[in-house]
Order: sequence, then structure tokens, then C-alpha cells
Amino acid sequence: MSWVGKSPRRKEDDRLIRGQGLFTDDELGEGMLQLYILRSPYAHAKINSIDTSAAEALPGVACVLTGKDVLEHCDPYMQLALEPAANIQDYPLARDKIHFQGEPVAAVAAETVGLAMDAAELIDVDYDMLDAVLDVEEALKDEILVHDNIGTNRTWQGVYEYGDVDKAFAEAAHVVKIDRLHFHRYSSTPLENNACVAEWTRQGTVEFLCNNNFPGFAKQLLAPGLRLPIENVRVRTYDVGGAFGNKIWNYVYMALAALASRKTGGRRVKWAEIRTEHMLAAGHGNERTYVDTEVALDKDGVITALRSRHLDDCGAYTRYEPLGCVIFSQVLPATYKLRNIRIEMNQAVTNKCPVVPNRGYSRMQQLWFMERVVDICGQELGIPADEMRLNNYITDFPYETPNGCVYDSGNYPAMLDKAKELLDWDKWAAYRDQARSEGKHVGIGIGTTLDSGTNNFGQAQIMNPHLPFSGNSEACIIRLDFDGAVVVTLGTGPSGQGHETSASQVVADELNIDPSMVTVRSGFDTNWNTFVGHSGSYASQFAVTGLSAVHGACQKLKTEMRKLAGFLLEAAEEDLEFGVGEEGPQLKVKGTDKAVNYWYLSNIVNNNNAVLQGALEDVTLNVRHVYRPPFNVPDVEKKFGNLTLTYAAQLHIAVVEIDPATCRVNTLAYAAVDDCGTVINPQIAHGQVHGATVHGIGAAIMEAFDYDEGGNLLTATFSDYCPITSMNIPDIAYGNIETPSPFSYNGAKGMGEGGGAPLHTMSAAVQDALHGAGVIVTDSFVSPPRVYELLQNPNRETAVSVG
Amino acid sequence: MYPAPFNYHRAGSVAEAISLLSNLGDGVRALAGGQSLLVLLKARFDTVTDLVDLGRIRGLDGIEAGNGEYRIGALATHARLARSPVAEAIPIFQDAANGIADNQVRSRGTIGGNVSSGDPSCDWPTLLIALDAQVHCEGPDGKRAVPVNEFVEDLYLTVLGDGEIVTGISFPAPEKGAAGAYVGFKRCAPAYPTTSVGVQLTMDGDDCKDVRVSLGSSGLTPIHATGAEAELRGKLLTDDVIVRAADAAVAESDPIDDQRGTPEFKQLLINTLVKRGIGVARRRCAGEQVEVSHEYY
Repeated sequence: MSWVGKSPRRKEDDRLIRGQGLFTDDELGEGMLQLYILRSPYAHAKINSIDTSAAEALPGVACVLTGKDVLEHCDPYMQLALEPAANIQDYPLARDKIHFQGEPVAAVAAETVGLAMDAAELIDVDYDMLDAVLDVEEALKDEILVHDNIGTNRTWQGVYEYGDVDKAFAEAAHVVKIDRLHFHRYSSTPLENNACVAEWTRQGTVEFLCNNNFPGFAKQLLAPGLRLPIENVRVRTYDVGGAFGNKIWNYVYMALAALASRKTGGRRVKWAEIRTEHMLAAGHGNERTYVDTEVALDKDGVITALRSRHLDDCGAYTRYEPLGCVIFSQVLPATYKLRNIRIEMNQAVTNKCPVVPNRGYSRMQQLWFMERVVDICGQELGIPADEMRLNNYITDFPYETPNGCVYDSGNYPAMLDKAKELLDWDKWAAYRDQARSEGKHVGIGIGTTLDSGTNNFGQAQIMNPHLPFSGNSEACIIRLDFDGAVVVTLGTGPSGQGHETSASQVVADELNIDPSMVTVRSGFDTNWNTFVGHSGSYASQFAVTGLSAVHGACQKLKTEMRKLAGFLLEAAEEDLEFGVGEEGPQLKVKGTDKAVNYWYLSNIVNNNNAVLQGALEDVTLNVRHVYRPPFNVPDVEKKFGNLTLTYAAQLHIAVVEIDPATCRVNTLAYAAVDDCGTVINPQIAHGQVHGATVHGIGAAIMEAFDYDEGGNLLTATFSDYCPITSMNIPDIAYGNIETPSPFSYNGAKGMGEGGGAPLHTMSAAVQDALHGAGVIVTDSFVSPPRVYELLQNPNRETAVSVG
Repeated sequence: MYPAPFNYHRAGSVAEAISLLSNLGDGVRALAGGQSLLVLLKARFDTVTDLVDLGRIRGLDGIEAGNGEYRIGALATHARLARSPVAEAIPIFQDAANGIADNQVRSRGTIGGNVSSGDPSCDWPTLLIALDAQVHCEGPDGKRAVPVNEFVEDLYLTVLGDGEIVTGISFPAPEKGAAGAYVGFKRCAPAYPTTSVGVQLTMDGDDCKDVRVSLGSSGLTPIHATGAEAELRGKLLTDDVIVRAADAAVAESDPIDDQRGTPEFKQLLINTLVKRGIGVARRRCAGEQVEVSHEYY
């Protein structure tokens, strides 16, 4: 009997469905102050003066913070970039200049949020507007500087070159040139906005309850920013309503609640972001432009080489960047076997919202690019999309990519077969041909994509060799409580992924008990729970890092329990078996009725230890295990090394029909096939695939952060941004294959981000539908207004050439 | 988000509401369902000192038929209207009422508030133009009725004077055999339509005996497309005639460029919706049951 592979009822759901979850904004308390952040209406401006006197005089206002306060009490947040970008001065509030619309200018703590907003309206800020730079290519010209002190907008540049690119081009049967591609700005818009409650205690420590999804990292940046020893900052999370990476750098704003608490003598201060603030300033996904792309192919349409320049727009501050300039290379060749690659990666700051890791972070941008390359080459050379892929897929695993990443396992052709079967490919192919003969625009698009999980932080050294990060890890403590209850704490801090449930399945299998007998204490707490610097929920890794930590902790606990039970039962350890008896979970001597239950074991250690007469000193029944994946530090010079442990894969197919009378992209059929190795909990895995698919379809046809030429965000509300709703979602046929990972103890691969598969798929489907009309899809956003523009101005002549 | 502080007044009668609204200065606003006003207040886009809540005024939410016309009180909610006998009798009415935002908004929002907001994206004014409705107003100078297509003067600006409120809507009962359609394109429930079109047709055999065509989200005010009507009225409804009517409607529109699309894209939609609206209205005139409303795209 194994619990792994089954879908027991989720432990989290009872409290969440009954409205008993504890989200940060649910935290209430006597005398708690509410913080409201005044934000810049301009994208780029000089601050001449700020007058807060009227705001401070308003009854009910406890304090007002401005750039002066942060200069007095804060140091700029540590930057990951190399110089000169390392000198970007990132503080919780603007000091003398505004860098993007929505940048915090002042913050008010008051008895109610309404009062804090009233006071913020009374703050008089005198700005001089400056011209804004909003396009990455313009930014790289350095004519308008976002941060004057660094003298350039460029934050990173590096060349990823492998194989013999020039030779491959010289020998190519075809060379396809693609003028310009663009991956648009959007985010995953979690249901719960950013929030925190902060208290600056009399002991000089700061207590945070928050919803950050990488608190191990946040604490290491937040504490120095507040000029505190890291030990003095407690970061705690509980239920988190979705994160998708978007909450990784909310520590920047958390500091304001702490500063307000400090200024008011230690009162607790809550900051709960409003949706419009979230859209303006909580972080957007990376926007990327790809220029000068050239693809070499042999006579059969096998891609032999690729060269390109990529320009990443990271918005006004680097924060988690320029990590995206390396993370993409986890999936450098996507699912394809080409060995000759030269990509020049560039990144610049602009006067837009800073970027933040967003579901599929940076790999999705690379995968979309590679899928466009494959489809555009296929269309231009007259090779069908499925054939093009079968000609180019990697088929032998483990596979070392040109840059040293090791794809653990996979079977892309089998996924393609399965997706075709789910979709009823032949029926839709016939429908497409018939519809085309009637002049209709029907297309079928395939997206193959990777969700690389459990990253090797050593890749950060490719970006900046001075960074002291490498490897990865996760921690787990497992113990028996007084009554013998099995209690697990984790460093992961989930945001809806069901870690309590899947961890309990692993423990249940190890101890041969029922998952309902395992308590998993969710949430992160740097005072009382276990954690490591890599702890958090990000980068598709829980099934590997989190569950390996749980598994390792179980082994240690079992060793102790065997020793203790053997001593008490006067039996050999190898004669003991784990199971459940009449008195609950127990260890029993095989073939006898001699047994000892967990309460008895725990009581001996915790309350009744004279029984042991000094024996078994090392048995505590409270053990910690840290899992460390087997990584090496990459070769920084050659940009070579294994950057992620597991490679889950997704293969989606969409059939779309575009009505020229409305330009609506109507999805007639959609299939999503997933491979995340051994599945721990099928229901949770299916839910993750569904969520990632819906997010991706929304991103492809509905969701975009649009700025006007002045740097004003035009889509700052849900009414304008329009996140996808159930009314916009096609039926999704879901399927699964399992190619177990040889690199994880359980065969599982990290999953959940989903690789942005629907973006690749919808671009491909629209391309297939409109290719006959002279259209090449060069942008990841294919909303009806964009389709209208494509139909009005067919771009095939300028977008692509074949030589 | 939280509105700035304001004084709250609850009016017990139309007369009291008019008196309060007339005497509380420039910062006073009338509150009905609040589905437009509260959004503005929460975003602090409007400076308001006083709200006069009309919601408890008795007798202002009636839905009645008789004497060849329909009379609807200003406080009737979208949800009630969608389930009312009017919606059952007049399909175009149901199309619009069911397409407004989501359940929560439909349960709170009122027809009077929707019309009073003067927003060209609102559905009721556009629909009511197709039904040739009158807006009944009452103010310090007494009562008056204004044709709905004259009621909205400019973006967010109506003919309502100081202290004047909308008390109801009336429109003539459509002739037997007449039918209409209200069709729109929107991206999701909380979004306003990108464009919407109302068509109310009276057929005489295959000829168009009479017609009203209106356009929403197609300019700074709801538009009465008289040019499109002229192409249709009195004619055999051939494909060519319908194409000419759609082209005429496009020529009468003046959509703005915003995140929902460029003017050219919206005009493509208007063209399509006019044709689609005529098609549905015609089938309904012939007695066919056709379900339409806003299409999500």
C-alpha cells in the first residue's frame, strides 16, 4: 500500500473552504496601525520637495515616512548585479528621483486605512517631470538614464556560445532570418495581494507576518536594508493566496511597515496592498525582445545552429535581476537537439515597473523564442509543425545540453502522440483543411515546453562571480509529540500547492501509517520552524527538495525509533516493523504481538527517561534533515554546468478559429499533456497543470501591461487588465505520462510553473491560422486588437526571410 | 480602497431628495445602487462632500405595463429587470440586463443610476435608445421627460440640472411582431463592453417597416444611428441593404482609442455587431427563439 500516487483529501482544504485560513490581511490586533503608500503618478521625475505637515496634523495619523526617514535608518538593498548596476540605490522609498509610475514616495501610518489615505492626499510633492525611457532598445542607447549615478541603463551583457556556429551556418541548406520577436509584459495576478504586519520590538528585533514566497532570501536582504543583524529579523508566513514568484521581492515594501512601527514606538503596523498598487508596482514578468535571429537548417529541416541577440527589459530596478539573464539558459536549446548556439544576452533598466519572477520565470521567454523559431522555420520551409518537432526533438536521456545542463528524462514524441489522441488530431486537421478551402482562418498550434526545477544557485555566479551562492537545499524537522503525534515542519512556505498533503503522503508511506495521522505545520517561521537560505516556494522544486527533505528526516526518525523500540522490546532492530495497531501507530516485533506505540516511545524520551538508564543518549525523536541536490559550481567563464536537477515537460495543442469579423481567437479544442516524472498526488498535479494552462491562455489572449508614451500604465485595474475568467477558458483535455527522474529519490520532477506552454501554443495556432494571410506571429500577445493589426498589416515580407 | 470622508443623507421621498441635492452645494451626489459612483469615490477620482441615498424612497422601483407603454422606476435593479415580465415580453431587454457585469453588480445596480452616469459604455442608455425611451426627471423646477438620446450630452454629462434626479423610464410597447437584439463584445465580466449595438425591428413581411439602431461604447455618448436606420427603413432586407446599414453605423460612430482597442478595430466590431443584431432581430420577428447577449472574446 503506497500513498504516493494517490489523491487523499487535501489537508489544507478544510480550513480554506470554511474561511478559516489565516492570510496576512486577516491578522487583527488592538491598536494596530494601517499603512498606506503614496505613489508617484509619474514614470520619471525629479522630486523637489515633499511637505507632509498637513498630513501629520490630521487626527488619527501616527507617522509619515519620506525619503529622509529611509536615508536615516536604511541602507540600500543589496544588488545581485555586477558594477556599475550594483550601485543602483534601491530604497523602500524614493529619495530625490522617481524611476517608475507607482514608485513609493511617502507612507502614512494611521488608525485606519481610510485615514491614512486621507492624509496621503494632503502630502504635497513638488515634481519636475522628466522624459521617460520605456523601450529596451532606446534604453540601451543611454540617452535618457534611469539611474544617473551608474552612467548607463545596461545591467548585464553576456554571450552564450557553444559548438561551431559559423561552420554550421556555412554548411546550412537553409538559413532563416527572423527580424524581431517580442515577449510581452504580464503577471500572474495572485488572488491575494502583497501584505505584511510588522512590529519593531523593544528588544530591537522586527517581527514580520507576511506572504513573501522566498522568505529565506527576503530575510537576508531585508535585515541589512534595515541595518539589523539577520538574526534580529523574524519572518513568518501562514496561508498565502497564490504567489507564482510575484511575491519574491515584496520585502522592498515590507520595510516600510517596519520603519513605521519603529517611528511609532513599536506599534504593530499592517500594510495590505490594493489591487491597483499591485498592478502598478508589485512586479511584472520579464519583457524580452529578440533581434537578429538567424537559424541554420539542413535539407530535412533539422536545425543545426542558431544565433540571436536578446534584450531583456527589467523595469526600473534590478532586484531579483539580472538573474533572468542566466536562468533562461537552463533551457537554452529548449527540447531540441541543436548543438551550435550563440545568444548574446543583454538587459537594461527602463522607466517601468521592476520585473519579478513570474510563473515560468525567464525559461518561458526562452522557450517561447525557440518555439517561434521552430514554427516560423517550419512554415517557411513547408514542413508541418509536428514533423518539424519530431525531426528536432531530443530523444536520448539523460541528455547533456551544449551548455552542460542535464535533462534527466523525457519522451517528447510520446507526449505529442498522447496530445494528438486527446485532441482528436485527425478530425481537427481535416476540419482545418475544409475550413481553409472555405476561406476561414483555422490553425493548429503545438507548444512543447520545459519546467526546469530545483535550480543550482551556482548559476548566479555566471551572472556575478562574486556572489556567495550555489547548490540548493531544503529542510525538514520531524518529531513525535508527547502523545506520539507525528509532527512535520518544513521550510517551504506554500501558496496553494498542497505541501501539507503531499508531505503527509510521503511520511505515511515511510512509517506505514495513514496520512491523517501526520500533522504538517504549514508556514514559514525563522524563529520556530526549520529553514535554510534556499527555503521557499519557487522554481518548481517542492517534489524534489521539499519531499527529499521529508524523506531524509523520516529515515533519521525511523533509525531512532527502531533503536528505542528494540531496546524497550528487547528485540533486534531488523525484526521490527512499522505499522498501525490497536493503540495507534506502533513498532512491532514481526510474527509476535509484542509492540510499542508512538505515545510510549515519545513518553520515554520526553517524560520517563530514567527507564533508559543512560542508554540511547542520541535518541531525541526530534530530527532535522537538510536535502542537498548533487550540484557542482558551474564553469563561470564557459557558462557551462548543470543548472537544474529535473526537467518536467509539457506538450499542448490548440485548435483556433479566427473570425475576421471580430478578430476573436476562438479556441475550438485544447489538449495539455504533462510529464513531471513520478506523480506524488495526481489531483494536485492536475490542478497545477490546469492553473498553469489557464494563466498561459490568459497571458496569450487577454493580459498585458500596456504603457503609454509617458510611462502611464493603462491596464492598472482588473477592469482594464482583464485577468482570464471561467467565461474565457476553453475545455482543456488533460493527459499525463510519467518518465521518472533518475536524479530524485522518488522519481518526481518539480512542477507547477508549466513553462508557459499556452503562450507558445496559442502563438503557433494563430500563426498557423493566419500564415496564408501573410502573417507571422512575432509577439506573444495575440489579443483580438493585435490580431486585427496583423490582418490589416501582414508582416511576412519584413518579418522573415529564407536563404 | 477607501473613499474620502463624506456626509451621508437618506432621503425618504423624491421631494426630500431634491431638497437635499439642491441645498448641499457642488459636492453633493445622488446615490442609488452605487455601482458606478462608489468605484469613483473609492479611487478618489471625484471630490464629494455629501451623498444623498435614494435607495429607501418607496415606490421608485416599480416595473409596470399598460396603456401601450412600459414604465420602470429608477431604482429597479438590473437583476430584477432581467427576471421581470418586461424582459420576457421584450427579448432585447433581457439581452442587455443579463449582460451587465456580474451577479453582484446586477443585484445592486439600478437602471436609473446606469442612465444617470452618462457613461457611453453603460448598456441601458444604448438599449433604451433602441426602444425610443423617455427619461423621467424631477427637480426643483418640477417634472419633465427627456428622450433618452438627448439625455446624455457629453462624456459623463447629462441634461440633469442641480437638484434634479431620474425617477423613471418609459417606452412605448413594441408593435406586435416587432423584436430586437442587443449584442456586445466584452473581454470579461468586470470589463465594460468594447462595443455594443441595439437593434429594434418592426417587419412587414420581408420589408423593414421601422427600425431603431443604437451604438454603445462607440463615441463620447451613446449614439442613435439614424443613418443606419435610414438605410433600412421601408426596404427589403437584402444582404446589400444590411451591409450599407452597417457601413452607415460605422460612419456615425467615433470610438476612442484605449486599451480595449483602436478606433479602427472597434469600428470593425460595430460593423459586425450591427449585421449580427439585425440578423437576430429579424429571426426573432419571425418568431424564432434566439439567445444572445454579450459575447466574451
